[in-house]
Amino acid sequence: MQALANDVEIRGVSKRIGRNVILDGIDLEVKQGELLTLLGPSGCGKTSTLNVIAGFLDIDQGDVFIKGRRMTNVPAYKRGLGMVFQTYSLFPHMTVYENLDFGLSLRKVAKDEKKRRIQTALELVKMTGLENRYPRELSGGQRQRVAIARALVVQPTLLLLDEPLSNLDAKLRHELRAEIKRLQKEVGVTTIFVTHDQEEALSMSDRIVVMNKGKIEQVGTPTEIYAHPRTEFVFQFIGKSNQLEGTVKSLDSRMIRVELADGGQVLVEAENVMGADRSCAAGDAVKLYIRPEKLAIQAAGETPHNNSHAATIVQMNYLGSAWEIEVSLLGKRMQVLRPSVEAGWTIGTEVMVGWNPSDMMIVKK
Amino acid sequence: MEPVRYDDRQEIVSLPLQPAAAKKRRNWKKHLYAALLLLPLLLFIIGFFVVPMLYILYLSFIETKGEAGAIYSIGNYVRFFTDPYYLHSLWLTIKVSLYTVIVSLLLGYPVALTMAKCSPRVRGLLTLLVASPLLISIVVRNFGWYLLLLPNGTVHQLLESLGITQSPPKLLFSETGVVIGLSNAYLPFMILSIATSLYNIDPSLEKAAAILGAGPFRSFVSITLPLSLPGIVSGIVLVFSMSMSAYVTPALMGGANVPMLPMVAYDQIINLLRWTYGSAVSYVLLGITLVIVTVFTRMMERGRYREVFR
Repeated sequence: MQALANDVEIRGVSKRIGRNVILDGIDLEVKQGELLTLLGPSGCGKTSTLNVIAGFLDIDQGDVFIKGRRMTNVPAYKRGLGMVFQTYSLFPHMTVYENLDFGLSLRKVAKDEKKRRIQTALELVKMTGLENRYPRELSGGQRQRVAIARALVVQPTLLLLDEPLSNLDAKLRHELRAEIKRLQKEVGVTTIFVTHDQEEALSMSDRIVVMNKGKIEQVGTPTEIYAHPRTEFVFQFIGKSNQLEGTVKSLDSRMIRVELADGGQVLVEAENVMGADRSCAAGDAVKLYIRPEKLAIQAAGETPHNNSHAATIVQMNYLGSAWEIEVSLLGKRMQVLRPSVEAGWTIGTEVMVGWNPSDMMIVKK
Repeated sequence: MEPVRYDDRQEIVSLPLQPAAAKKRRNWKKHLYAALLLLPLLLFIIGFFVVPMLYILYLSFIETKGEAGAIYSIGNYVRFFTDPYYLHSLWLTIKVSLYTVIVSLLLGYPVALTMAKCSPRVRGLLTLLVASPLLISIVVRNFGWYLLLLPNGTVHQLLESLGITQSPPKLLFSETGVVIGLSNAYLPFMILSIATSLYNIDPSLEKAAAILGAGPFRSFVSITLPLSLPGIVSGIVLVFSMSMSAYVTPALMGGANVPMLPMVAYDQIINLLRWTYGSAVSYVLLGITLVIVTVFTRMMERGRYREVFR
């Protein structure tokens, strides 16, 4: 059966609480050994999906399979998973060692074996030597490391991470992000990661599941999700965006020509249509999206791309690693992100702004 | 004296000159205001609690007050600890209080657990229900128990009709009666203090225990119970010390059959007019209660689960 290829299969899972639809027909497959991220705004159903897999949330419809076993009605404590929580959730009355020992003792692991595995797990998260500390005596980052070790020490079939980094400060978050990624590959445990932070999702995941209003919007690799979002929601949720509006003038199999409100024309690749049916026809009112770093600025008069238009700089913000330049273009204000600026550019400078037709996404209004 | 001015300019100028002194002056002022706010309560407590207590302590060291004047000694205390009647009364007081603690803990914990698990609306309702006995006078409540526990009262009839007992056990005017009355009176304190500490437990801890393989029972024993210890301890301390010093319920539900120390002290002072000995009895009661409560809390705070009390 093909179910064996996937560590987790979720089929048609729905859940309502009162009148609210929490999950609306979720179908999801998690491959063996991959790090899959559930990404979306709060209330999108990502945490609920994780809780369904963990066994903390009963479902109205559908089925959950873990390693080919139907787990839909199996309670959480019999699923043999590992989980890390946003609030660390270390047992405050137990030392680091006792916290790690908790799951092993329940599994009746022999004493020597327990000791060995706890040591290995602590080495893995670089927490050796702190066995006798209480959680109160650890920093936030250390607590989360112990929490990860506690989840891994029982050798779970799945590792579930519920926004494990969102209580940490920016620097620690960065550090632990890389750490978790390394650990996950080292241990090879199939991992499901929940986050609302798109940067976290893009940098850590093998695949990303973007969710919105209890439904899955798109499943794909980070590059697919970022460069070729399939819906407007995905485009706007992941990264910054500039928006234009217009009408489809003509189209062939390769290019779509769109006329904007002020009469200007832009070209978009035919592959880049987003939305449910991923199609549009001449005469359709459409919205166009492009990311700030995909826009190029040239001196006035040059035409570097198929789409080049005269623009005026209206604002320049220095971000340290980049410049954020606001231009007035085709009757709209658009943001451009670039690593440096040319000497002489200032507010009011006339420039040309261009972009590649393959970088602009289009969707029917 | 120059008046103190509080404009910004002066602050800036004066700070580099005498920073420590300026800070000290401000701190001193702050403390003065705090003291002024506390003064009315402080006077009240000193006048109506500390002074009388000290006076009673003074009385307890007077052995006789005859024509020769007062003789100061520890005779009253010696008498207490050498007379089997009073020692028995002390033991009885401790025993009844311990039973009350155990009964209210066993009855109260499940209620507190229910309150912690249910929805906020149900929790509010339960809190009201739990606290509602406090709205009724303790005397009225005790007479209610009278009707239930009297020989041939409701409880006896029920036990008989169920065939549990032929000759019903003595409930009223016995230790059992006092324990029933005290447990009923102090149960709300036990429940509310346990519930408060249960509310403070991070719900994700139970999830963490479950995902690690702990079923509901194991999770309760290893996580919920130890983490609710602060509430249990404060509930026990409250109920125990209130039971030790209870007068009305032992008097009504136990009567002369259950002479607990507060009744003995009352008897000495009001009926026998032996103020000095009654004072000594009061101080023995106070001292023993303090010692038991202190030793108990210290033991808990330094025991296996000391981390919970941090």
